[in-house]
Amino acid sequence: MVTFIIRRLIGTVFILLLVAAITFAIFFLLPRLAGETAYGLATQYVGRNPTPAAVHQMEQTLGFNEPLYVQFGRYIKAIVAGEHYQGQWCGPPCLGYSFKNQQPVWPQMISDVPVTLSIAIGAAVLWLIGGVTIGVISALKRGTIFDRLSMSVALAGVSLPVFFTGLIALELFSYKWPIFPNVQYVAITQNPYLWAKNLVLPWIVLAFLYAALYARLTRAGMLETLNEDYIRTARAKGLRERTVIIKHALRAALTPIVTIFGLDLGLLLGGAILTEVTFSMHGLGLFTVEAINNQDFPEIMGVTLLAAFFIIIANLIVDILYSVLDPRVRY
Amino acid sequence: MMRRMRIGVTATCAAAVLVLAACSSSSSSSSSTTTTSGPSFNEGVTSVINPSTAKGGTITYDDSSVFDSTDPGNTYYAHVWNFSRLYATPLMTYTSTPGAGGNDLVPALATAPGVVSDNGLTWTYTIKPNVKFEDGTTVTSADVKYAVERTFDRTVLPNGPSYFQVLLGGNAATYPGPYKDRSKNIMGLTAITTPNPTTVVFHLAKPFADFDYVVAIPQTAPVPPDKDTGANYQLHPISTGPYEFQSYALNKQLTLVPNPNWNPADDPEASQLASKIVVNFNVNADDIDNRLLAGDIQMDIAGTGVQAAARARILSSPSLTKQADDPLSGFMWFFYINTKVAPLNNVACRRAIEYAANKITLQDAYGGSVGGDLASTAMPPTVIGYQSFDMYEALSKPNGDPTMAKQELTACGQPNGFTTGIAYRSDRPKEVAAATALQAALATVGIKTTLHGYPSGTYYSNFAGSPAYVHSHDLGIDIGGWAPDWPDGFGWFDEIANGNAIVPAGNTNIEELNDPVVNNYLAEMESASSTSALRAMLANEIDHQVMSDAVMLPIVYAKSLLYRSPALTNIYVQKYYGMYNYAVLGTS
Amino acid sequence: MAPLLEVEDLRIHFQTDDGLVKAVDGVSFSLDRGRTLGIVGESGSGKSVTSLGIMGLNRGSNAKTTGKIRLDGEQLVGADQSRVQHLRGAKMAMIFQDPLSSLHPYYKVGDQIIEAHRAHHPGVTKKDARHRTIDMLRRVGIPEPAVRVDDYPHQFSGGMRQRVMIAMALVNNPELLIADEPTTALDVTVQAQILDLISDLQSEFGSAVIMITHDLGVVAELSDDILVMYAGRPAEYGSAADIFGRPEHPYTWGLLSSMPRLDRERTTRLVPIPGTPPSLIRVPAGCPFHPRCRYTELVGGRRCATEVPPLREAVTPGHAAACHLTAEERARQWAKLSAGRVPDDATAPGADEAAEEPGAREPV
Repeated sequence: MVTFIIRRLIGTVFILLLVAAITFAIFFLLPRLAGETAYGLATQYVGRNPTPAAVHQMEQTLGFNEPLYVQFGRYIKAIVAGEHYQGQWCGPPCLGYSFKNQQPVWPQMISDVPVTLSIAIGAAVLWLIGGVTIGVISALKRGTIFDRLSMSVALAGVSLPVFFTGLIALELFSYKWPIFPNVQYVAITQNPYLWAKNLVLPWIVLAFLYAALYARLTRAGMLETLNEDYIRTARAKGLRERTVIIKHALRAALTPIVTIFGLDLGLLLGGAILTEVTFSMHGLGLFTVEAINNQDFPEIMGVTLLAAFFIIIANLIVDILYSVLDPRVRY
Repeated sequence: MMRRMRIGVTATCAAAVLVLAACSSSSSSSSSTTTTSGPSFNEGVTSVINPSTAKGGTITYDDSSVFDSTDPGNTYYAHVWNFSRLYATPLMTYTSTPGAGGNDLVPALATAPGVVSDNGLTWTYTIKPNVKFEDGTTVTSADVKYAVERTFDRTVLPNGPSYFQVLLGGNAATYPGPYKDRSKNIMGLTAITTPNPTTVVFHLAKPFADFDYVVAIPQTAPVPPDKDTGANYQLHPISTGPYEFQSYALNKQLTLVPNPNWNPADDPEASQLASKIVVNFNVNADDIDNRLLAGDIQMDIAGTGVQAAARARILSSPSLTKQADDPLSGFMWFFYINTKVAPLNNVACRRAIEYAANKITLQDAYGGSVGGDLASTAMPPTVIGYQSFDMYEALSKPNGDPTMAKQELTACGQPNGFTTGIAYRSDRPKEVAAATALQAALATVGIKTTLHGYPSGTYYSNFAGSPAYVHSHDLGIDIGGWAPDWPDGFGWFDEIANGNAIVPAGNTNIEELNDPVVNNYLAEMESASSTSALRAMLANEIDHQVMSDAVMLPIVYAKSLLYRSPALTNIYVQKYYGMYNYAVLGTS
Repeated sequence: MAPLLEVEDLRIHFQTDDGLVKAVDGVSFSLDRGRTLGIVGESGSGKSVTSLGIMGLNRGSNAKTTGKIRLDGEQLVGADQSRVQHLRGAKMAMIFQDPLSSLHPYYKVGDQIIEAHRAHHPGVTKKDARHRTIDMLRRVGIPEPAVRVDDYPHQFSGGMRQRVMIAMALVNNPELLIADEPTTALDVTVQAQILDLISDLQSEFGSAVIMITHDLGVVAELSDDILVMYAGRPAEYGSAADIFGRPEHPYTWGLLSSMPRLDRERTTRLVPIPGTPPSLIRVPAGCPFHPRCRYTELVGGRRCATEVPPLREAVTPGHAAACHLTAEERARQWAKLSAGRVPDDATAPGADEAAEEPGAREPV
């Protein structure tokens, strides 16, 4: 198991390098191939109405005239060893320097991580508990009104986009009935009560989407598991029905759900983009949107790498978790 | 040519079914109303609403995006220039008043407008003694010189305008700024001299009659050299205004608190009333209006008006309409018609476009009469010297004149029309709608167009603003908007119509007009002998010439439907910014 | 002494979208302590459903159970579910066909056995339960039980797994053990071991055993009594000696003749039973076996097709068959068969007859 983890971690480094190279190519190679010049690229980094001299200066500073592999090499070196930009020292890990904001990328991202974590983990707890519970009950009461109703609501949850349900939630619960007025992110260290209160709407809106998925998944998994022979054995042993459902059936049905949960959470940690934008919370998702709108390549690169890292680690944890949950799986 | 009556406003009023109240007040004279039922629609354009000297409270602004920079030396947005008056005092500024006076220059840090000498090549300003920075140190002329000097390094501060680099003499052309080789270069700009701590002298390369306007730009707000942190100065600029930075989480939240070392007598155009000012950045654009209307915030800092949903809500509710103003924003929206992309190199083909366009559908794209007034000139009414005229029946036949259009097509040798491209910014719904409307109108006379959308972040740097790209992609018609850096004809036309302003990237003379008549007029405006009356007349002449060249298809003189939060005091529209004056606000 | 288990006219019907499935339709038998009953039949004969019905495990599947099941005098049909659950795993236990799928893959075998024990003995400490578990594993012949108690099911071979299941079933000293095809999924050599094990444990614990199988060889090994089922109905019921020595039902004859036996001449041909078992939704009218029976003409009238033969005592007491043939006729036919003479129409399919009879058509 330990060698397995080490091998995977080494693989992670390679994958991240590959992600960085591809992102780099998209931003620098593709425009070149389309006929863009270094001068043209540099104009994106100077303000409005730049003088040609200013553009040339920016070209030099950003090193656009150097061969691509040199530029890429410098970028990778900066991650490990740090780099000077415009008189500022950007210490390792230096995930680039945003010339639009004139700040290193890493500190900006790090300050956004707690917001995304708050949103993602809070919603995750909600949707896991809610979704699984409803799924189990639906499976047990299959065909009844509860089952049909919950699956219809689940369908709605899966089909309605977050920015729609989010805006409706704001309209109803923040403006019309000011139960949650003035929704904005408050750090937990600043005011735990307000932190939680302002996150209730984003949590519910995001969890609604996923809970729907998980309810359907759990229901399907439970129905399948309940037909297994070992459930019959459990009953034959004279166990209480509740023990059979939870300890025997749910335990088995949950394994694929837990693995999907790990992947979903990993993706979400890279930025709950729609939720953060809808509720104007400054997490990695909003950071990503801003970076894209501004065509701020260093920021896009930085957040892409960070998100990729979360997803890869989530995959690794999920694989390890799977072998813990299912004793038949061993590495 | 005939000067038409100003019928534009009445025509748009007839079109706007819902805004009956607007019609009566927008064409009324600029006297303040004292109705007992509270302020009415558009009253903030002409009067101060909720005047008060009460102190205290928090004013919260929301921004759907971010500032290009809070550093007064590194920003080029009207709303940021407006907001920066809270912590930065330039040499000159605009009188804080509603109505027409809002375009008038008045000294701020300086004691008087610049004294001109040496055939217009030397401008001397005296600054007020004993003006303090937020840390208590006294402002000297060297701080003003340094503030201008630091804007010369475009790698550190790339965003602001570059007038000083272009206009100043001495070593301005080669001065690298004070960041590289500081020991050699700090205070090294020979074009600015400081004979004593309260005098700063600018030496120009050529006469420039509008120089007082240039020093009203926040770039002249003093910066203490020993506190300048270059690219990081934006995190805490040293204030000379009524407020100072308490905290700034970059692109997330800015908090200002009163500056204890500010003396109100030093800057009568600003006020220190609220005890806290907060700006939230990157707020969901679809949500800002909701927050504003619900009272969670007091101002949308962009100052360009509410979105379509809130607009409908405000206009359909009389109580909300009374709390709205619909001023001319100083912006104008139009299409550039490029003179190099065939067959538009022939003026008759360009005139055909002028006649064929349907102004009503174009105006609708911008929100109808509330979004802007029908435009027939290349210069909006907010520019000094504006006079209305209508060369291509934009006001008399706003739905277009296909007959005249076809005549022009024949005259330019394309009787069955021609093909060209329309460029626009695809993330701006109004521009999408406008481009589509124009395409439909031109199609009726046989002009077939293809639509090309581009991201607004790089529109000027890479696409419409790159003449090579425009030529190679046949973008004969390119949408654009313009607001002048200062409200006279030179400030309006120089960057967009001067043949010398054409550059390979970031180009703003997108029609690539190089008309010696226009170039000469512009030169004359800035000559040493020009007077304000002459400049006003020349502005009008340039307007006529540009329209005669048919290089611009005017759409609307933009208006912004602004919502006036009832929690704010001393709120009114500052004509120069086309939005509420942020420097004087208080809260009740 | 009263029998441990008495089943009287047990009927278990399932309402499905396709119709009413009569899985068990009038089964009766009794079983004493220490005795083994073998229930034999093809797939779909209702033998598994009967045992599940005794255990009360048909509950969730819209089954309608009528009749009487008396375990040690206590009526189980219609009893409170919690009472039956209480008895399950304690007084009556069951082992199943496929031990790999019947054991929970995620829990150690020791934990599963401990769970079975503590569910019915809540006062027992974990330590004591573990001791007992290891003990049971040893008794069923698992080597190194103290080590293997912490292994997972997939770490055992098929035979070992079945031993584990047996240990789990017996950990609470049940008085009734039902084994549903316990050796079907195992190798032949292992089969013998398992059967021996069950037999040994039975004598040791004194439990009654119901052995359900389609394999007559298995039944011959272990059973004291045998119940032959067909299409949900009892066909024949008697001691093992009677069933094998003097079978009284054409179906049993068919089973015996179609069975490869070591003590037969190699040259004698196997005689398969023509036709296929019927769908339990469309059970043939009258005797359910009649479409496949060669001897229907020997019965007067068309009684086989119209009248359901009751389970009637035959020649020997304790030996009953459900057939319209007279006892003499049956004896005669059996004599012929056991002499090795194959009936003339051995290969003629009774399927033609089946096609003509109304009610005997298979649903398409």
